[in-house]
This record gives sequence, C-alpha cells and structure tokens, in this order.
Amino acid sequence: MSETAAPRQEENPLEQGLALRRTPDPCALVIFGASGDLTHKKLMPALYALAVRSLLPPRFAIVGVARTEGDDGTFREDMQAAVRQHARDPFRQEIWDELVEQLHYVSTDFADAGGENAVHDLLGRLDDERQLGGNRVFYLAVPPGAFPTIVEALGRRRDERGWTRLIVEKPFGHDLESARTLTATLLEYFQEEEIFRIDHYLGKETVQNMLALRFANGIFEPIWNRQFIDHVQITVAEAIGIEGRAGYYEQAGAVRDIFQNHLLQLLALTAMEPPIDFTAESVRNEKVKVLRALHTPGPRSVVRGQYGRGFVEGEEVAAYREEEGVAQDSMTETYVAAKLYVDNWRWADTPFYVRMGKRLARRETTIAIQFKRAPHPPFEETAAEGLRPNVLLVHVQPDEGVSLAIGAKVPGQGLTIRTVHMDFLYGGAFRTGMPEAYERLILDTMLGDSTLFTRADEVEEQWLLVDAIVAGWQRDRPAFPNYPAGSWGPPSADDLLHRDGRSWRRH
Amino acid sequence: MAAPLKSEPLGWSGEDICLADVDSALARLRVEAALDAPSMRTSVMTHIAWVPEEWMERSRQALAGMGERHPSRTILLFPEPDAPDNRIDGWAAVERWEVPGTDRRLVTEVVELTLRGVRAKAPASVVEPLLVSDLPVFLRWRGEPPWGSQELQQLVGVANRLIVDSTEWDDLPYPYRRLGELFPQVTTSDIAWVRTSRWRAHLATLWPAIGGVRTIRVHGTAAQAWLLCGWLRSRLERPEIVLEHEPAEKLEGVALDGETVPLPPGDPPAPSDVLSEELERFTRDPVFEAAVLATVEP
Repeated sequence: MSETAAPRQEENPLEQGLALRRTPDPCALVIFGASGDLTHKKLMPALYALAVRSLLPPRFAIVGVARTEGDDGTFREDMQAAVRQHARDPFRQEIWDELVEQLHYVSTDFADAGGENAVHDLLGRLDDERQLGGNRVFYLAVPPGAFPTIVEALGRRRDERGWTRLIVEKPFGHDLESARTLTATLLEYFQEEEIFRIDHYLGKETVQNMLALRFANGIFEPIWNRQFIDHVQITVAEAIGIEGRAGYYEQAGAVRDIFQNHLLQLLALTAMEPPIDFTAESVRNEKVKVLRALHTPGPRSVVRGQYGRGFVEGEEVAAYREEEGVAQDSMTETYVAAKLYVDNWRWADTPFYVRMGKRLARRETTIAIQFKRAPHPPFEETAAEGLRPNVLLVHVQPDEGVSLAIGAKVPGQGLTIRTVHMDFLYGGAFRTGMPEAYERLILDTMLGDSTLFTRADEVEEQWLLVDAIVAGWQRDRPAFPNYPAGSWGPPSADDLLHRDGRSWRRH
Repeated sequence: MAAPLKSEPLGWSGEDICLADVDSALARLRVEAALDAPSMRTSVMTHIAWVPEEWMERSRQALAGMGERHPSRTILLFPEPDAPDNRIDGWAAVERWEVPGTDRRLVTEVVELTLRGVRAKAPASVVEPLLVSDLPVFLRWRGEPPWGSQELQQLVGVANRLIVDSTEWDDLPYPYRRLGELFPQVTTSDIAWVRTSRWRAHLATLWPAIGGVRTIRVHGTAAQAWLLCGWLRSRLERPEIVLEHEPAEKLEGVALDGETVPLPPGDPPAPSDVLSEELERFTRDPVFEAAVLATVEP
C-alpha cells in the first residue's frame, strides 16, 4: 500500500459506523485473591464469557496473584475447571486455547518484604512481549484487611506509562470511620476516577433497566412521586444461609452485608432525579443526593431479626446460632426491615419499606411501587373487594422483568373486578441471554466507565445512615432467634407496616 | 443461555381463506397453547417475508429459531401470480417456547399465506390486517426484488425496514443502483453487508496506511466484494479504487494492492445471527448507504 496518497485526516474514516462494540485498550488484569471463591465462581467465568463474545482487548493478560503455592500450569488447570463448572456458556476448546495463553500466576505474599517484586517483574515482561502499554487493572478480590498493604505496594510502584484502575470489592469498611480510612488509603496512591468500587447489583441488567423504565418511558415519570405513589417496598430476600462465611457474617450482619450497599443502591436508583445524561458523574451525583436526603430512622422504624431452625424447600435447616463458626449467643442480625423516608420535594412523607434477610421463604429481589388507590371507584363494594392497588413490580431476580398489577373486569354478568398482572419478562422478549453482572463490570472497568460503580461520597453517606441505625441497637438486646428459617421474617416486621395500615406485598 | 425446549406447534390450515379466518385461528390456538402451561404472548415486531417459490425451504430454515430470539408475528408470503385461480391459502401456527428458569411459555405466531393469481398483486392489503399494532414491521425480501413493481412498492410502504441479501442477486453491481433508489423510502439493510463487518473492523485497524490503497482484491461473493470496495471508496473518498474479485462461497480473504491482509480475529457469524442482528437495528445506516451508492457511482 502506498502511504503517499493517504488522506491526512486525524480521525479514521473507516471507523465510522463500526462502533458496534466497545473494545478496551490492551491491558493486564491482575487478580489478587486468585485462589479464592470469587475468582472461581464469578471472575474467571465472566472473563471466559467476554472471550466468547470477542470483547476482551486484542492484547491482554490475566495475572492471578495469591499466597497459595502454584504456577502457570496449575492455575490454568484450576481456571479451566472453574470455567467448565461455572460459566454460562458451554465450554469451547478453541476459545479456551486462546484464553489460556493469557493466564499467568504468581504465588506471593505482599505482606513480605519484596513480595510484590515477582508481580512487578512479570508485568514488565508481559508489557514487552504483548505491548500492553503499561495499562493495568488491579482487582482486589481479597479480605479488606489485606487492602492497605496491596494498595501501598501497587501505589509505590505504579507504572508511569498507560493507565491504572483499581477494582475494590465490598465491604468498603465496616463503619463510616473505617470507610474514610480506606478511602484515604486509596486516595493516597490513586485518583478517585481510578478507583472502581464494585457493587455487583449495579451490574445486573434489571437494575440498569430501572433507569430505562423510569427515564425512557413518558408514562411513568409524571406519576413517580408522592402525589401518586402510596409507598415503595424493596425486598432483598435470600433462601440460603451464611454458606460457611461465619467469620465474615458475624462481623457484618445483614445491615452491613446487604443494607449498606445493595439495598441503599436500589433505593437510590428508585428515588433519584433524572440525570442530565448517562455519564458516571451525572448518575452518581443524583444517587448521592438521594442518600443525603435519607432521614435517619428511629428505633421503632427498624426491625432486626435472626433466624432459628426451620424448613426451606421441605428440608430442615439449622438456626443461625447453630451454624459452624457462629457464637451460640450471637446477636448478629440476619434480617433487617426498615421504614425510610427520602426528605425531598418528590418523596416527602412517602415511606420506603425495605427488608432483607437470609433463610427467608425464597430468593427474591424486587422493587414494588405501590400506587394510591383510585379516588372514588364507582362500583359496589362487593364488586371490587378482590381489587388491590396498582403495583409496578420490578423483578431484579429471579424472573427478571417488570409487571403491573391492574384491575380488570371478570367476564360474565354483573361487574366484578379482580387484580391481574401485565407481565414483561426479560426472557420472553429478549432471548439473547442475560450477561452476568461481573462481565459488564469488568468490561466497564477496562473501558474506564465508572457509571455502575460506587463513588466515595456514596459509600460515606451509606455508612452514615448505617452507623446511626447500629448505634440505636447498642441500647437493647432482642430475643434472638425471632423468626423461623423459611418464613418471611419476624412478626415485628409485619407490625412495622400494620401500624401504618399497610402490609408487605403478598408473595 | 440454556437451549429452550420447543414444543410441537399448534397449527391450522385452510384453502381459499379470508384473513379474519387467520385471526380467529390464532386466537383459538393461543387459548389452546395456554391450557397446559401459562403462556405469554410477547411480540417485538411483525416480520414479513416475501418468498418466491425457489426460496421457500431456505426461508423456513433461516426463520427456524427466529421466533425464539425475536418474539414476533411472522408472515411468510408465497406469491404464485401464475396460478390459474385467484385465492389465498393459509396456514397459521403458534409456537411455544420454554422460558428458561420459569414455569411459563412464550408463544409466537407464524402465518404462511400462498397468494395465488391476482391475489399476489396487492400484498400490502393482505398483510395490513395482520400487522401487530404499534410494533415495527420488518420486510425480508428473498432473491432480487422486482424493482419498481407494484408488490415491492406496496410492501415497502407498510414496512419500517427492508432487509435484503444481495448475495442472492445476479449482475452486481447494477442492482445496487436500484436498491439505492429505495433508501429515501425505507430504512434498508443488506445481509451481505453485515457479513463483511468483521473484515471492515479489521481493515479499519490498518488506518492510516490503508488510506492510499489503489486496488482491493476480495476472495468471496460478488456482493461482499462490491460492498467492501464501495465502502473503501466512500469512506476514503477515493472513487478510483479498483476491485478485483475472486469468486468464493464466503468471504475468505482480502488483499490490498497485492498484499494479503491477515484473517480478522473471531468466527464469522452464523446466518441466523446475521439476520437477528439486522432485526435489532431501527435506524438508517449512512455508511452502508454510501457504500452501496459508491459501487455504481463513478
């Protein structure tokens, strides 16, 4: 090809119309905690899914780092087993053959002097061999206690070339003070825009669909306020117990495990004002305004619970205090329900009832927007006795989709009205397969898009509220356990709504 | 995604029918479909295909599985303008698909209409009563459209998007001029163009060296060759770029000024993936339109 006749345009004219896929720059993804569960169950299957869809950078390397003894060979075998077991796509040898060449492993402990040297040396070599340009994504899939050591080591030896991004897994501290300390540690070596705090709920399609539902449909936003909405119910229910994570859960409890992050993020997306655009800063600015407007609930507006023995799916399961590693007199809560208010113009006096817990009747995450009743139904009372208020129900998981409960006439003589559901089921309308949250979030990090990640000020606002709730708990000692496994929580959670003349949504 | 299980379709057929018969049959079949499991009628479009006899089997094959990916009412029109009688014969079916992870079934609808004699001359009046309200209409035309004909103009008039595959055409590039005449009337896409997407993305990475290219040699179908050449001509504003075409069943290689370009990464898309991708596009593609026009404009 002759270069002499090349047009001297700065932009590549051949790229126009090709922007079908976002492809990240060449980079190395370094996973700290590569021998852990998260890497096996989520990260590696997500990377494989990205490889299947040709969404990984053309020049790429994955470096697993852990204290566990091993080498490239054992790591590759281990990761292949993880992909075969946990990936959403069938295993394809040709995809794996390409991906496996990019996998490397370093067995080291950053707590040891010079522990980071091996990682640094390998990255330098990969840079030379694959022309990665010094671009790095560091994924901290390690317990929070290990953060400072790793962050400091990475920060001191960060490459002058290319970009660096740091993915941090929750928990982001255990209270406001520790969160601020963590943020200070991170900011000592990294800029805020380089820090990607993962709340994997934000990577779920249905959570993102909340933004589409609210801001792409003209019919909802005009009635998305205190004038038309009676109240909102957000449920994050799990049927599973603590799954061997007693060490973590005893310290965290439901309020730190779910409420502080996933639940408050769902609430913020439900209540936020329309952002001016869909950039990271605009979306997060609106979310943090909601978090700041959350009124601290009084003790009567918060219920905590702990499960006792019970039955889940017909099988008897142990009480929380009987789980391995849990203290026999543990006062850790496995359930929290609360009535929250967003003190702003849109939501004044509109309660947000939230609940989350383990060993509940089934796994379900939903956001239910319950509208006010029709002001004067011109029907006989008996005609409408089966009629419930309109509810817009966002199914985050499972059965991802949206349904609207409306009143409809029962066919036949006379006029009897009954509540029916109009359903939009993701699996019914879009059959392309739902990407796992981690696929989207890892790809977004490599692309530098932090819209679906939590900013430091959001984290602080969330802890501010949690600290206030937990402070109230120091003064009393509830009679735990107070709900049987397999139920919908303690009776006092029902009372929370009954006092207001309402009830939890029927399941 | 786990492969959904497909149940046997529930069907109905009739000769010399009226379109109300089709509507009634579909309504009845939907009720039947809901008897043994809760069913959802979800549609994202009406999909019309104009299928001359020689394309009948290939059309059915390409459409197999489309309902699962794009829940829709699919209307296949089989024109038989030379038939001795004037009537419509019809077949309607609802297909049920298991929705993974739920106890529900998805119901999609397929209608096949054989338009005999003069009934093949006014196809828009046949499909209008069967369109799903408020949803986009995609028109898939198999083979080379009869440019300027009444049936083409009519169906383009009811469609939001026309999908052709110029691989199915003879005497390229001349039909592209006629295709270009439809651009102001209907958003148009060409499956042959979509099949070049990997190569276009790959060639774009050769910028700026590719900016001075004088000759492109394409080992592939004539459609792919002309469209790639038209794309380079239009994007680079270099109408003098010469095409050398080496026929092959699929796009196997590209050379620029005699230098072979390495194969692009990844696999070529499956035929149903290509059609599926086009069914998710709703807006005009100015890059495609410019490439088509550049194949025939000096």
